[in-house]
Amino acid sequence: MNFEYMLEILPRFFSVIPVTALIIAVSFIAGLLLSVGVTIIRVKKIPVFNRLMDIYLSFTRSAPILLQLFIFYFGIPVLLQAFGIAVTNVEPIVAAIACLVFYNGAFMSEILRPAYLAIDKGQFEAADSLGYTGWQKFSRITMPQLIPIALPGMTNAMIHLIHDSSLIFAIGVVDIMGLANIIGSETYGLYQVEVFLTVAVIYWVISLIFEQLVKLFDKRRRKVLKFEGYTSSEGAG
Amino acid sequence: MLNIENLLLRLGGNDILKNIDLSVESGEVVSLIGPSGTGKTSLLRCINLLEAPYAGRMTFENDTYDFSKISQRDKLRLRRQTAMVFQQYNLFKNKTVLENVMEAQVLVQKKSKQAAYDESLDQLEKVGLRNKLDSYPARLSGGQQQRVSIARALAVHPSVILFDEPTSALDPELVGEVLHTIRDVAKSGMTILLVTHEMRFAKDISDRVIFMDNGQVEEQGTPEDIFNRSQNPRTRQFLSQFYTPNFEI
Repeated sequence: MNFEYMLEILPRFFSVIPVTALIIAVSFIAGLLLSVGVTIIRVKKIPVFNRLMDIYLSFTRSAPILLQLFIFYFGIPVLLQAFGIAVTNVEPIVAAIACLVFYNGAFMSEILRPAYLAIDKGQFEAADSLGYTGWQKFSRITMPQLIPIALPGMTNAMIHLIHDSSLIFAIGVVDIMGLANIIGSETYGLYQVEVFLTVAVIYWVISLIFEQLVKLFDKRRRKVLKFEGYTSSEGAG
Repeated sequence: MLNIENLLLRLGGNDILKNIDLSVESGEVVSLIGPSGTGKTSLLRCINLLEAPYAGRMTFENDTYDFSKISQRDKLRLRRQTAMVFQQYNLFKNKTVLENVMEAQVLVQKKSKQAAYDESLDQLEKVGLRNKLDSYPARLSGGQQQRVSIARALAVHPSVILFDEPTSALDPELVGEVLHTIRDVAKSGMTILLVTHEMRFAKDISDRVIFMDNGQVEEQGTPEDIFNRSQNPRTRQFLSQFYTPNFEI
């Protein structure tokens, strides 16, 4: 083990951490928005779309994420061609983000839907009976009650996403893992173990920071659930 | 004030309510009684469109609604003139007592915060819970929650309050305080439609009692008519279960 070498290459990763962070942030936010749409279609059982969502969810759940990445990377140009837009190749980072958004739209909707269903129906009826508009009901009643219920699941989704993002080097994105491969080959594989251990430490730190952030929220979440009278307050997070 | 003609409620292919004609005058207290599963609650929920009737017409405060074609606007307009007190209270769990009573005034009625606050204090005073402003519903007893929910309903100054079995979910020793509050509301001249299994209370408080059976209005009249002088065999059979009337045989 060559610790000096590990310390030597560590700063080189600082330049690509923002790439990973950006991909995770964009995928999480866009994925969340998509999952809200998917959840609405599913809980309102909007005809036709609801069926389509079943297929969508079933697909994303069954196909390995690495395979989905390849399908997006090689499939987007084919799809665009069908609409008459000629592109020979698509930026790997775009394909990666598109894929992670697509995947998380399904994954997170499976967290939001049960959380929504856990809210007492009487809450909505009370809002209806007072003449709340759909948006007022959503923003004043649904969202504030749904967030604390969904938070542990969302935390898990985020950790999954951080892990899944380490696969996107496979389609050529130079993120943390991508750079690790490059550095690894610079020394003809002599220091592979050192390189990957360095990367492991970086992922570890990222996860630790994230976990600490969640802990800040979690205390509050438990308190909220308690005074709202929801009994369940356990769950990962 | 409220007039329903020929209401038909159909759910999952079953006619839950049929041929319902009902009219309520301003300031009147009307109780709906009858066996469980007979459609009393459903009828109440049709009035603020929590259930969507299949057909029928309703006139409410000079507006006429055709149940077979209700728009989103109709729904909001109707709901903003009515208020409902639920069996399970349904206070907003994420809001304090004060916020529960205040919110619809600010959000729906566009009152100023100050005006809504004053009104809320007033109503909470009337139901005897002014000292619980900052409590969350989960911290209150069932009776207290139901009284807050009555304050919430009163605070929007509805044309009618729909009480849906307001004491059915309460522990027996808490029923009294809620009935007492409802009695005060009735005395204030508020128009009330009340679904209840508290026969004595219904007899006491109502101007008119409607006996429903099998999704239809079986008989209606003054409390005296229904409870003491009914000739309708279904009514008599139903009442004999929990009440010993002075029927003249």
